[in-house]
Amino acid sequence: MKRVLTLIMVLAFLCAGTALFANGKQEAEPSGLAEMTGADATSFTKFAVEEGAKLVLSGWGDQTEQKIYIDAIARFKKIYPDVIVDYQPIPADFQTKLKAMMAGGTAPDVFYVDDQLMTAFGSTGQLLQLDSYMAEAGVARSHFIESLLTIFTLDGDTYGLPKDWGTLGLVYLPEAFAAAGIAEPTDDWDWNDLYNAAKIISEKTDYAGFGQNADWARFAPWAFANGGSYTNTAFTSATLNTSAVKKAAEFVLKMYNDGVLVTSADVGAGWCGEAIGKELVAMTYEGGWMVNYMRNDFPDVNWKAVQVVKALNGVRSNVIFTNALGVNAGTKYPRAAAAFTIFLTSRENQAAVAETGFAYPAHPDQLGLIQDPNDKAIAAGGLIGRVAYWGPNTGKINDEVSRALERIYLGAMTIDESFAEAERKANAILAGE
Amino acid sequence: MKKQSSLSEMKKREEIAAYVFLSPYLLATLVFTIGMLLFALYISLHDWNLFQSPEFAGVKNYIKAFRSEDFRRGFLNIAWYTLIVVFTQTFVAVFMAVILFKPIPGKQFFRTFFYAPSVTSSVVISMIFIWLYLKTGYINLLFGKVAEIFGGEWQNVEWLNKPDGLFQLLARGVGGDIEYGKWYLHGPSVTWMAIMVQAVYTTSPTFMIMFLAALVNIPSSLYESASIDGASSWKQFWKITMPMLRPITLLVVVLGTMGCIQMFDYVKLMTAGGPLGTTLVPVYQIYTETLGINGPIRAGYGAAMAFILAVVIFALTYIQRKFIEEKTEQY
Repeated sequence: MKRVLTLIMVLAFLCAGTALFANGKQEAEPSGLAEMTGADATSFTKFAVEEGAKLVLSGWGDQTEQKIYIDAIARFKKIYPDVIVDYQPIPADFQTKLKAMMAGGTAPDVFYVDDQLMTAFGSTGQLLQLDSYMAEAGVARSHFIESLLTIFTLDGDTYGLPKDWGTLGLVYLPEAFAAAGIAEPTDDWDWNDLYNAAKIISEKTDYAGFGQNADWARFAPWAFANGGSYTNTAFTSATLNTSAVKKAAEFVLKMYNDGVLVTSADVGAGWCGEAIGKELVAMTYEGGWMVNYMRNDFPDVNWKAVQVVKALNGVRSNVIFTNALGVNAGTKYPRAAAAFTIFLTSRENQAAVAETGFAYPAHPDQLGLIQDPNDKAIAAGGLIGRVAYWGPNTGKINDEVSRALERIYLGAMTIDESFAEAERKANAILAGE
Repeated sequence: MKKQSSLSEMKKREEIAAYVFLSPYLLATLVFTIGMLLFALYISLHDWNLFQSPEFAGVKNYIKAFRSEDFRRGFLNIAWYTLIVVFTQTFVAVFMAVILFKPIPGKQFFRTFFYAPSVTSSVVISMIFIWLYLKTGYINLLFGKVAEIFGGEWQNVEWLNKPDGLFQLLARGVGGDIEYGKWYLHGPSVTWMAIMVQAVYTTSPTFMIMFLAALVNIPSSLYESASIDGASSWKQFWKITMPMLRPITLLVVVLGTMGCIQMFDYVKLMTAGGPLGTTLVPVYQIYTETLGINGPIRAGYGAAMAFILAVVIFALTYIQRKFIEEKTEQY
């Protein structure tokens, strides 16, 4: 009886998670049972590939990531022992190098694809359409978290399969809260709770309260939860000069002006995650990458994470980052390359990757595999986030948001002026000017 | 008659031999310089995403570049940079060369010591300066200590994130201000000036070596006769050294100007054009547009910007040559 109950509870959790991912929009909170899409568990089915296939795989990433892919290749070789895979990581300037390689006809067969590469390669026919190979492998789009696929889909066809995803959480140092004599953050916190705690900590201890740079990604949970967005849903016009976005910016600026929000440079760190590692700030918004970063660089620092805080309207939102694996349309071995890509993003392989704690699986029914408690807390943000993609000009729009924040941080413009200018420039970008 | 024809035959053979020896270089120039230039010109008149056939666009890309506020801003930034860096680095290079030309103890050591930044990779130099320029870095520490000695207090500056312009700061000093929208009146930003200091630090030693080589070639008899005539060291410097250095000064100024206008590495590594576009430069914009960093690939637009930049470099070099060569005295 106990087992049956446990099974029902696990299924209920997965159903709720999947439905919310599929929406990819802000939600008040993940509700209990909701309609589930895309949790059909399936296994990778081997299909015939070219004889003597030799593939080159490239991606970015540090040594930890490289080890993960070396292990994944070993797993793939168990299914396809005759396919040779040459792993050639490109740790820096990956996108630039790959574009040059693609233009020169020397691009790898399988490679990481982000929104920038999808913009460059997707509409220009440089990526292999994967749907027919997915059908052969018994893999459907519905097996993936639906919102993650949006970036890699053109006219309903699939050109990349999400390999993982990430989102933001409220990362904090329990010691700072103990030193200030206040309770640690909870998932119920809203903007005011964050402000008050940061104020007490910055006044009573040597820690700065909350760390946040002028960065579009860290600002997204504030703006989105307040009902804002960066562009309209068709990605044809900017929506930066709106009351929802500006009210969020107003609160952030108030924190900054009151000295309870600092930038990483203010405290002598390269980024806010480092400021946590060096125990310079008590709280910040960072993602799942903190788990390995803190483990490797600051193993003695005790840190925790909860979900990003709610806006004053009680709504919480977040931003989701995702990357995919895609196949070079010019590969000599399309079947082998597709099989390799589908395998790397399969439930089997992603389960093994999830065990390492390196990345969150892109399959909704595998969210339970996330083990680290901090990772779990951060990953919960994925249930209420929206994927960071606003069309082919995503990077430029994001830059405009960051610049708008920079201007108000520096006092160069008022919030109204800054976001009006950001919207004007973003609209010019979207109009192709 | 026979002798004449054999002479002309020999001349012809020599000419052919010369072209044979030159052919590898000529071929490389034809393909990789002239060929590429023509290709870039062709691309600048088209819309091209690197992967599909270029579509003819006429002069649209050029018009777009002239209309782009960022591009105009990039030109103004690079104009400030060129003006200040070329002048300062030339002055510093001459100064160091003259000092190190004198018979001072440890001359060789100082030559090597001063030259070291020039042979260090710009990436390494940038990393070092990023640390030095931190709000909690050594530059602020140094200013803090100096302020302390004079009984004052130093407010730490985030050097690589300070968009306030020189004229803006001066205006504020007298109780005024220049609004943000009038960026063309701001003058170089604090961040931009910080990068200029770094550039002068790394490039001056190279030019110092060139000035040192030129100093060696100035006949000592000129100084001897000047001494006999009672000219002071200061007078000798201005009346003999500087005029004799004029050809090398032309080279240094021309090379310096071309190098400055093509500045890219420090911006790419340290600021990405920020804060607020105050370190945006044309070559960085060409790079981001051509390779689609943060947006669609627009190689035609990038090529158009590159041609506009090339015209500016050509014009400036021509003016400099004319101005400095005319005043060069020949001995």
